[in-house]
Amino acid sequence: MAELTEQQALLDSIVAKLELALQRRYGQAARVENVSIATLGASNRTLLFDLVEPAGRRRLVLRQETLKSEVSPFISPHDQFEILKVVYRHGVLVPEPIFELEPQDDLDVGYVMACVEGETLPKTLLNAPEFEVARQRFAAQTGEIFAKLHAIDPSEVAFLEKVVDSVDPLAAQISRYDAYCEYHPGLDVGIRWLENNRPKDKPRVFVHGDYRNGNVILSPDGIEAVLDWECAHIGSAMEDFGWVCLRAWRFGNIDQPVGGFGPRDEFYQAYTSNGGQAIDEEEIRWWEIFGSLRWAVLNMMQADGHISGVRRSLPFACCGRNTSMIEYDMLMTIKGHFT
Amino acid sequence: MSQDKPDIKEILVTVKQLLESIANKSKGSERYDALCGAFLLSVVDRELDFGERQDESQSGELQQLLWGEGSLSDLYRQFCQQVRAGELDEQWPAAFDFAFKQVVDKVSVTNPKYLAEMHRTD
Repeated sequence: MAELTEQQALLDSIVAKLELALQRRYGQAARVENVSIATLGASNRTLLFDLVEPAGRRRLVLRQETLKSEVSPFISPHDQFEILKVVYRHGVLVPEPIFELEPQDDLDVGYVMACVEGETLPKTLLNAPEFEVARQRFAAQTGEIFAKLHAIDPSEVAFLEKVVDSVDPLAAQISRYDAYCEYHPGLDVGIRWLENNRPKDKPRVFVHGDYRNGNVILSPDGIEAVLDWECAHIGSAMEDFGWVCLRAWRFGNIDQPVGGFGPRDEFYQAYTSNGGQAIDEEEIRWWEIFGSLRWAVLNMMQADGHISGVRRSLPFACCGRNTSMIEYDMLMTIKGHFT
Repeated sequence: MSQDKPDIKEILVTVKQLLESIANKSKGSERYDALCGAFLLSVVDRELDFGERQDESQSGELQQLLWGEGSLSDLYRQFCQQVRAGELDEQWPAAFDFAFKQVVDKVSVTNPKYLAEMHRTD
């Protein structure tokens, strides 16, 4: 009960500050209504609300950063907002960026964007009858989105060059893994394999970095918006392909590699026929193995949040033990048993 | 170890049943937390069953592979450092096999149903 009261007090405080922030930008008549919590998450807090003005009402989203960690793998909310502006301008399906929070808003760091209606829960998307058409379209639509995204001149997001994942993504993951001082023979064997089998350099493009089932809003007609740009960086286009096909993001539909929704051939063909570069399947496999390392380290991060007491949580405690299954995926992929 | 009843396994089953019953009556984060708690107790249960045997077997294999001694955590550290430094490249199949077996052991404790048919023992 005390926890609920605390949460309500936090929410009330955020809403009061948000209303003032909106009044500074849209005039004294601006009001906040219909607030709902989308996530009080591990790395960010997301609130949905109506901005009510004399001229009308608009559903918006407030996203604030909550993860405070020296080994955070996420780019700053400021850079995320800059990215949203760039990709929105290029017609990539994203929520319209509205404004960035400023120090005088007293709402930490974050931004406000348009609310896009739809569903993000992976199991609902993979099983609910109303998403049948969206499921069929997902692989090809993702290919089209990747083609548009990877065609953006990286100089428009030059600030991403400084991100460690842009410099050497494997070294970045190894450094994060080492920060937890844990010894996982499976991961180290995987790291050695990745180092000995590095793909040849490819043209460097703007990659989303976390495009997967769960970070995309779908309506029954298909993809409506791509979310969660906090892992964006500059790198090989094939990295995005490997991540969306990671076994973990198929949520049990292992025979449908593209997020559990569809086959690789539709995905690859949509990419190349929309101007994307040639597909390198061997490199995509490398990125899937790399993706397992990355996903295992992210699970270690969540477990560390629990063990250190910073973010006590039963699901985060489970994350620590879940790394074993991710290591299994990684080594089974190296052995050629998993595709 | 206490010889009094209930023993550790019975205590685990009792608390796990409570958590499952809470999960069945709950929604949202409370249900999810209860399911996570029940899952973690299953992990403890299986670790009690298999942990000691797995530790002994892994320790023996690592001593042979590394020509070293020490606790299992020391041996893990040595193995990982040597693999990363490329010092086991010439014994790559043996190093890979050890890591793979260790991972299968861990999944057998965490979630045995996750294993492919070829690695299941049930």
